[in-house]
Amino acid sequence: MLRPRSGAERTRVIGLLDAFQAAERAGVEAVGRWIVTCDDPRLRGGLRVIRARDRRHAALAEARLRSLGGVPLAEPGRELAALCGVVADPGVSDRSKLALLLGRLPAREGTALDELAREAEGDAETHALLETITDDERASVRWLRHMHEALEREGT
Amino acid sequence: MSRSESGREWVIRFLDDLCAAETASAEVLGAWIAVCTLDGLRGGLRVIAEREATHAELLAERLREMGSTPGAALAEPVRAAALERFGSAQLSDEQKLGLLLARYPEDASAARPITDVLASLDHDLETREILRLVAEGEAATVAWLRAYHAGLARPGASRA
Repeated sequence: MLRPRSGAERTRVIGLLDAFQAAERAGVEAVGRWIVTCDDPRLRGGLRVIRARDRRHAALAEARLRSLGGVPLAEPGRELAALCGVVADPGVSDRSKLALLLGRLPAREGTALDELAREAEGDAETHALLETITDDERASVRWLRHMHEALEREGT
Repeated sequence: MSRSESGREWVIRFLDDLCAAETASAEVLGAWIAVCTLDGLRGGLRVIAEREATHAELLAERLREMGSTPGAALAEPVRAAALERFGSAQLSDEQKLGLLLARYPEDASAARPITDVLASLDHDLETREILRLVAEGEAATVAWLRAYHAGLARPGASRA
């Protein structure tokens, strides 16, 4: 197994994976709570796929960081925790949640994860892992945009 | 049998067959990962295997919600042959990629059996959207494997 070349690089990759797994886990919990109160079957169907994928992404990132000698310690930052709070809030409409989520994303899909994958380029396995996870995230964002447009059109 | 009953039964059969295919696919990819010698490919295969397992889990869950139980399975000789081929340390990773990609001339080929039924699922929007994202995942898998394979063939390529 190719490992990051230096100890410092390995520490950096472990940090990237740790932050990523913490964010994914926070998202899984928030989306899970959204699904429970979501009345739109289309939205519920897609959110279920997104939650299931994100759960596996978190597990993959944790497994990789452990194989590099790390231990998952990261917690989601305050901003992410606040966003998750809104996503999980049954009092906020589906349309508002989608608008909030999409408004926080860069115009180009997958940019933040692309950056993460690039930063892990010295470790081929981690790089490919993040690159492939990015494909899932891109699909999720495309679908969320599609749903947001549909709800906007319907005025729901 | 009423029209709606026959429609529901058709959806159940489709989900069950797809669930069986995704389960077998995750298993075969697991066997490949165990003998994969290329770090980059192994990283991608790990995500792809989890993607397939996720699809199987979601489809099984949906079947249970519809009052059914996942029961389909890939024909044993087909499953055994795939496990032997992709779990073999004698066959190179490049050969395995070539074998797999030969089945899918375009990235969308793997998703087509699913995308072809989406329009027939307007009566079950939750299942339709689950399948829409599953189909996107299938296309993404083939696209990534094709890009990786092309990278291996490039002169001077150093994909680990």
